[in-house]
Amino acid sequence: MKKKRRLVSIVLALTMVLTMAGCGSKSAVESLNEAAPAETTDNSTAAEAPAAAEETTEAAALDTSERVDLVFYVMGDAPVDEIAVEDALNEILLEKVNATIDFQFSTWTDFQQKYSLELTAGQADLIYVANWLNYGQLATSGAFEELDDLLNTVAPALKDTVGESNLNMCRVDGKVYAVPCSWAEYTCNGVKYREDLREKYNLPVPDSLENFEAYMLGIKENAPGQGLLTVTTEESQGLLTAFDAAWILNLKYPWVNANGLPYGLASNYDTPSDVYDYWYSDDFTDDMKLMKKWADLGFWSKSALSDTNDSEAYKSGLCVAEIAGQNPNKQIAAIKEFEKEQPDWKSEYIAYGEITNTIYPGHATQNGTAIVRGSKNPERALKVLELLMTDESINRLVQCGIEGTNYELDANGIYHNLSTSIPEEFPYEGFNTWSLRNGDYKLPQETDVILNQMFDKYEELGSKTKFPNVNIYNGFNENYDAYQAERTAVSNVMKQYLAPLQAGLVDDVDAAVEEFRQKMTDAGIEVCRDGFKEQWEAYCNEYGYK
Amino acid sequence: MKIKKNTSTMIFNIITYVMLTFGAIVCVFPFIIIVSGSLTNNTTILTQGYSVLPRDITLSAYRTIFNAPKDILQAYKMTFYYTIVGTAIGLMMITLTGYVISRREFKYRNTVSFLIYFTSIFGGGMIPWYLMYANVLNMKGSTFAIWFPALMSPFLIILMRTFIVGSVPEAITESAKIDGAGHLTIFFKIVMPVLKPGLATVGLFLALGYWNDWYRSSMFSTSSKTWELQFYLYDLLNATTALKQMAQSTSISTAELPTQSVKLAMAVVATGPVILFYPFVQKFFVSGITVGAVKG
Repeated sequence: MKKKRRLVSIVLALTMVLTMAGCGSKSAVESLNEAAPAETTDNSTAAEAPAAAEETTEAAALDTSERVDLVFYVMGDAPVDEIAVEDALNEILLEKVNATIDFQFSTWTDFQQKYSLELTAGQADLIYVANWLNYGQLATSGAFEELDDLLNTVAPALKDTVGESNLNMCRVDGKVYAVPCSWAEYTCNGVKYREDLREKYNLPVPDSLENFEAYMLGIKENAPGQGLLTVTTEESQGLLTAFDAAWILNLKYPWVNANGLPYGLASNYDTPSDVYDYWYSDDFTDDMKLMKKWADLGFWSKSALSDTNDSEAYKSGLCVAEIAGQNPNKQIAAIKEFEKEQPDWKSEYIAYGEITNTIYPGHATQNGTAIVRGSKNPERALKVLELLMTDESINRLVQCGIEGTNYELDANGIYHNLSTSIPEEFPYEGFNTWSLRNGDYKLPQETDVILNQMFDKYEELGSKTKFPNVNIYNGFNENYDAYQAERTAVSNVMKQYLAPLQAGLVDDVDAAVEEFRQKMTDAGIEVCRDGFKEQWEAYCNEYGYK
Repeated sequence: MKIKKNTSTMIFNIITYVMLTFGAIVCVFPFIIIVSGSLTNNTTILTQGYSVLPRDITLSAYRTIFNAPKDILQAYKMTFYYTIVGTAIGLMMITLTGYVISRREFKYRNTVSFLIYFTSIFGGGMIPWYLMYANVLNMKGSTFAIWFPALMSPFLIILMRTFIVGSVPEAITESAKIDGAGHLTIFFKIVMPVLKPGLATVGLFLALGYWNDWYRSSMFSTSSKTWELQFYLYDLLNATTALKQMAQSTSISTAELPTQSVKLAMAVVATGPVILFYPFVQKFFVSGITVGAVKG
């Protein structure tokens, strides 16, 4: 009896420990990322060796005698006309390479988790990749097929279209795992402001901190009661800033990346590998005093730290400028909305990089397509990808749907959607295949006229920088496994001490800065900085960003 | 006849009523905000915020929804389908299982009960669960994948078993056996009629579970035609946030996103039937839960 009781208590204790271990372990997705590759690497290396050997001997002749049904996993929701467009597409693909393609959609619910699951399940052949979907990490852990050899043997045309330098940006540990889109896009952050108000009150263009202040003050004096900024903490997650208002400081610094480097470090675009300290510098204290001054002037709400982001504030006139997380595309959206609802209003945009001469396009890993490791037909998948991107009629079909049914081109060659219902039967880029954009075939929408003007301007400015039109920062993948705990602590201190500083909601700036620095040191910022610097410098060396 | 009231009952009643009123307000208030928001002009919501009584009353949000009601009606249809099929089959299986493991003459009933109970503590986790349905059973994309995984739950089986043990004495089934009844006759003629409150409870738990589920659609649907209603609504909200996030890093169109008032109107349309339906089954629900509880 006693023995039995003891046994029961041991079992119970074990149960408890096990369930607790279950709760405490990493999130499902994380552990998945680690577990999956180990398994997949094995079978794929085995399967790959003979395949690679075959390819080199047979060269470009791809065997298409057997019909193959491919799955292309993409993000977001399916368009209404999914089936019709897929059918039209498959008709051509069957004829050309004896393959069909089925788009499967992640939907926007839990998409990060489902994306990892899809890679584990390995049922897709082609998959959309992007840096915001952890392309670098997934590639390191072996989620995708290596494409260097395949591109040479199966799809040389695709390689030419995308270009060597673009492909190189998708290299992870020296190997290409994704084919980026071939449309250079500028997502440079900047200030969106109300040109009509500026003209009306004869204020300066907000192209420096002084002018921005004058612009805001001018509106405050001339139109009392008008909201000025609706800044919150929401666009400032991560390890760069903690409050949206601090984005405006990009007008002052020619940093390699908007808001500098993580952990309060910074380096200038012209000398990326020369990392210097920002949080512990006098510049930082001065900047925080400026923030305090603006907060006292009432540029933003006293409750800004706890406010939630209202993305429609600008559109509805609750603020007269937006400074955090803006890009040319948002400016276009604002123009469109003003046209529709407030015809007298005018929105203008200044990219921070225009002022500081640090303009560069989005990184190639922003939008790419990869082949899932374990795909049974990687060659055919790549061939199909090549057709989707390099064949003009197929590219238009997959991006815009069926001409005459879903869209038409007017006399100027501008794209117009033909659907009458909401939501549109096949919206522009209806399959969400942003990775298949081809700069030569991309149909212009009405708003693209202004967007392209902006891009042309940026391209010209960008070509004059030290690294002409190269996005340096976003190709870098930080591996913080070694200092995960310190990193979390730093992130918490940022939320608790940096956010009120940057929001100017402290009584004594000097004392608050001192306290913030002390807390940062306690949290172990030095460990993070050392780890980051080492990796960053290695990265800069590898790509020659000196 | 009048029940005499003394001061202490009066005080008790007052306190109870105050507390209940407070609780009711807390529950109803958000819903009132939703209804009023759905009737308010979208720009008014943006500039002046939400209010208890609608200002600038307009039906435009509802007009937008019912202009193209195809999607929402499809989602309704599917949810009804999942709820009815899932509840019917699930109820059947749970009752049968509960009955079998409550029988004394079933030799392995303890082992089987343990195995069922075991799964309620130790699960395989989300990834094996997903791989099982997607890769092994190949159910991804079918409607089967949405109602099948939720048919049985250890909690409901145990609830049912406890209920059967408590309300059907062994002697009754034994005497039926002596009279020559087989297992099926005993189950359907003798046991089932006594089980009504138990069936109502378990049925309601199942039905509510199916009605409120969105997760399985999220995991296994490959076409919006098989979406559950709750997922349809949830995804609508998620799409809005995700696209706005994405617009930060790449050019995508965000012009077609639903407005605040349309989202609220969607919520009203989705809750509608439950509100109509709930008062009628509520009494079963309350009595069922107390009946199903383990009695000393």
